[in-house]
Amino acid sequence: MNKAVFNKSLITLVMLFLSIVMIVPFLWMISTSFKTPAEVFQYPIQWIPVHFNWSHHVKVWTGENSFGLYYLNSLKVSVLSTIGAVTLSSLAAYGFARIQFRGRDTMFMVYLSMMMVPPQVLFVPKFIMFDWAGIYNTHWALILPGLFTIFGVFMMRQFFLSVPHEISEAAFIDGAGHFRIFSRIILPMAKPSIATLAIIDFSWHWNDYENALVFLIDHDLFTVPLGLQNFILENNVDYNGMMAAATAGIIPMIIVFLIGQKYIIEGVASSAVKG
Amino acid sequence: MKTSWMKRQQHLGYLFIGPNMIGVILFFIIPAIYSFYLMFTDYKFMSPDTKFVGLDNIQRMLGDEVFYIAIKNTLMFLLSVPVSIGLAFIVAVVLNRSVYLKKLLRALYFMPYITSGVAVAFVWMLLFQPNNGPINGILRAIGIANPPGWLSTMESSMYAIDIIWIWFMLGYNMIIYLAALQEVSGELLEAAKIDGARTWQTVRSILWPLVSPTTFLLLITGLIMSIKQFGIIQAITQGGPGNSTTVLSLFIYQNAFRYYEMGYASAVSWALFVIIMIFTVVQWLGQKRWVHY
Repeated sequence: MNKAVFNKSLITLVMLFLSIVMIVPFLWMISTSFKTPAEVFQYPIQWIPVHFNWSHHVKVWTGENSFGLYYLNSLKVSVLSTIGAVTLSSLAAYGFARIQFRGRDTMFMVYLSMMMVPPQVLFVPKFIMFDWAGIYNTHWALILPGLFTIFGVFMMRQFFLSVPHEISEAAFIDGAGHFRIFSRIILPMAKPSIATLAIIDFSWHWNDYENALVFLIDHDLFTVPLGLQNFILENNVDYNGMMAAATAGIIPMIIVFLIGQKYIIEGVASSAVKG
Repeated sequence: MKTSWMKRQQHLGYLFIGPNMIGVILFFIIPAIYSFYLMFTDYKFMSPDTKFVGLDNIQRMLGDEVFYIAIKNTLMFLLSVPVSIGLAFIVAVVLNRSVYLKKLLRALYFMPYITSGVAVAFVWMLLFQPNNGPINGILRAIGIANPPGWLSTMESSMYAIDIIWIWFMLGYNMIIYLAALQEVSGELLEAAKIDGARTWQTVRSILWPLVSPTTFLLLITGLIMSIKQFGIIQAITQGGPGNSTTVLSLFIYQNAFRYYEMGYASAVSWALFVIIMIFTVVQWLGQKRWVHY
């Protein structure tokens, strides 16, 4: 074996070890969720439990406040928000990137400046407004604002700008209007960008704890992060149960990540480097 | 005939942007203006009479001891940003050229970022358990008799939060660095090798300067992202013990939704806005000067 190959293998092993350290919290979480209370803090750590104990997972999924309900709530909020956000931001991004009209650049500056406003500024007025409109403590308080993402507009605009103008001009000469160019030509080309935005947006909504914390109070409306918090408050000495609940909260994101890894990683990379 | 059609087509721009614009007006612009107004009132949720109090809230903020504690904690929290960036740079340099299984490793390092949220926070809460948690178990096993109390003491709690945040941000920073390093030409590195430059010399005097615009970008966006973060801290410590993990964004949240001091919370939230605006202006100025690709 030559020296270069040996070095590369050695470095790979070291990096592999460190990457395991990175995901050790997940491994410990899953392992603990199958243990008995007495085994939780045993040292040295028993990574693979002697007996797989499913009772904590059963508790998480069947109890009075079951994660089944939280999953349904989260799915409803995340799916509706994501579909709306992807549609509306693609439309707006096309307008900003490929149509010349009066006031466009001013409007874009307004979008830019709104990116600086932190959510903390908006929570209180939104709370008052939602209460007044009767959507406080309903899923609409999460879904309606979730339909609009400024980041999504920026990301899609970036892509639409990169499509050569000759393509639209040729279609124009054939008599196609903007709606036809958008739906028949530009949108099909943007499939990878749409996939990226959809996955990133979905993961935001799925993981969103802060909005749910501010706008929901009824247990039966809770999304997964709030349900998880509630479970942990009610079972704060049941460490195995806590980890079973955390597992339930994390698994969907891991599945989404494994399926959409390519889109997520490339999307994250391109959004920052170009932006 | 043709030109009027073209003109009509341009008006379609409003139709494309309109639906999104309505949402931005309803959920960003109007609340922002409303919040700006609330800053000058003593608005409390459910209390009937709201008075205009001028600059009282700002005065109160400047005299509020907890506000300064929150600023100090925020600075300690932001320390995690450069640390995470530094570590991510090292990982990215190594992964970029000198490993097998690059894609697998990249995915593993990135995983914490995508699974973010309170679930992970609760896992860390147990890992950091001071008496018999696994982290202190390992520390004791390697001979540290009195490991830190992590989240349970005022002295160490902010550092524990920093560790969680570094762990969380590392993968994100690494992905951005990997993208930047791909732009660095291999020829340049080969030339350095022929010149007999040592690895760390190459890294220090070629790679690090070449990716400096990326480092700058990561630093600013990381600072902005972190200063807005409060979910993880709220979930694990609610700002405690004492006020030792009350960062500015959590301070705002708690004033608004624990004490219902919404006028005051609005005033502090605009202080947060000013800080973010300063970061953003620095970014614009810096980009003009630094970007050379």
